[in-house]
Amino acid sequence: PYLRPVKFFLMSFLNPMNSNSSSPLPPSPDEGVHATGAAQFAVSSSGWREPLDCVRASELCNQNGQCSSRFRIMRQCLSGGDKERSTMLASKECQGALEVLQDSPLYDCRCKRGMKKELQCLQNYWSIHMGLSEGEEFYEMSPYEPIHFSEEFRHASIISDSSLARVGPCADAAQPCNPCLDAAKACNLNDTCKRQRSAYIAICTKATPPQLALANQEPCSRKRCQKALRQFLERVSWEFSYPLLFCSCRDQACAERRRQTIVPACSHQERHKPTCTELRRTCRSDALCRSRLADYHMNCQVTPHTVTGCPQDNYHGCLMAYVGLIGSDVTPNYSDNSPTNITISLWCTCRGTGNHERDCDAFHRDFTHNSCLRNAIRAFGYGSEAPLTVTDPCPRSYPPSPAANPRQAWPFSPWQRAPTNRQRLHVLHLC
Amino acid sequence: KRARRPKPCSLRELELTVSELGLGYESDETLLFRYCSGKCLDHRRNYDITLERMRRSGFSKKGRRDKVSNGPCCRPVAYEEDMSFLDNNSRYHTIQEVSAQACGCV
Repeated sequence: PYLRPVKFFLMSFLNPMNSNSSSPLPPSPDEGVHATGAAQFAVSSSGWREPLDCVRASELCNQNGQCSSRFRIMRQCLSGGDKERSTMLASKECQGALEVLQDSPLYDCRCKRGMKKELQCLQNYWSIHMGLSEGEEFYEMSPYEPIHFSEEFRHASIISDSSLARVGPCADAAQPCNPCLDAAKACNLNDTCKRQRSAYIAICTKATPPQLALANQEPCSRKRCQKALRQFLERVSWEFSYPLLFCSCRDQACAERRRQTIVPACSHQERHKPTCTELRRTCRSDALCRSRLADYHMNCQVTPHTVTGCPQDNYHGCLMAYVGLIGSDVTPNYSDNSPTNITISLWCTCRGTGNHERDCDAFHRDFTHNSCLRNAIRAFGYGSEAPLTVTDPCPRSYPPSPAANPRQAWPFSPWQRAPTNRQRLHVLHLC
Repeated sequence: KRARRPKPCSLRELELTVSELGLGYESDETLLFRYCSGKCLDHRRNYDITLERMRRSGFSKKGRRDKVSNGPCCRPVAYEEDMSFLDNNSRYHTIQEVSAQACGCV
């Protein structure tokens, strides 16, 4: 209780922004930033304590003079490029602002997937968390709310209840069977799905004018295609989109259709194949991509001591996070048209990355050698009787030890309340 | 027995594979084909009444041999936007104005 006023007091000396403050005295705890801290959690209808969203949190922060001035400083600290940013962040002003903001509602806030103003929410989130973890962490905290058990249950019940899953698709060997074609049919018979699917396909297959294509441009507009894909996945119910993405296959024609779902020639492949390190850097410079990547790492991280290899045995969480990456700079896809041997990869290589090769491989292996993701995809398409891929207890090229970075341990603390993330902590410590 | 009243012009639908559309595309993908069908008895204007009369005897009296259509007919007044599908050679195609969206007696 004594520390806080002292900190505020020092801040007013250290920070020139505050010198013309109307009140020369340090604010009492009642009017301080953390006064709003009590409202950091709103109780949801399900009784689960939901974190405050970061749009609301920044509104609360802006109502408070102390908090809003520090938030403004913090945004300036992060405005520069990669190099300047770390210098800026190390400065007294930025460190001071960060310290104050850690006590504000902005510190604990989260965003909802597909919420209104999602991008603004994520930008607010990173305006604090980027300063806390800049460039050092291999895995970052997801700015998204944990996927609720209710959602998980809803999904699990659909997997086990659907007649398709119970008998397994293609149970009758005599009948022609192509679940990916069935998924396309189901989508075409639904007006919203048909419209949205046609929209992204039309955009992603539209050739760029020949004069531009000659100027070493991509054969299509990648950005517009990826945006249309994101829109499709946002606006169409997962009951239509997931069967298109995760259908089970017996033959190559089916598997090729599955691979083609996202129009990979435009959305996934590029003329130039970057290194995975480059790709990761590109993604991290964009608030949306960075968030989706962090969410993927959190929900699809191979966990050695669960049956399915997934955190909390939550397949739905992993599939949702995977789908979240589609239409971002790190759009993953099936690497070939093998019907049963599912391999997911990114359009990048680790060849020639020199001393970054270990990190590069570790990053890409989270896609190519991920038993959690593979089991989740199989369980969706093939029903609950799908064979499980045995979990590799400790992935061979594991990223730099988290213990080496003293900062790594604490960002997880607010999550320890939620059991989902405690699991992840174990993973990090075990391997 | 009472005569059955004919169905008015309206939108009907049919599930077809893309190959069955007869547009030359080979694809087993199924889609919903919507078309217009039904009678347009209530949509006759003075124009139609006069034209029918002329068709019966009037044209020859006036020295004309023109062929004219038999009253208003049920046709799409709007078509569905782009319709995309993957063909059996794993190529995407987008086709326009295949399926009706609204019908009218025109």
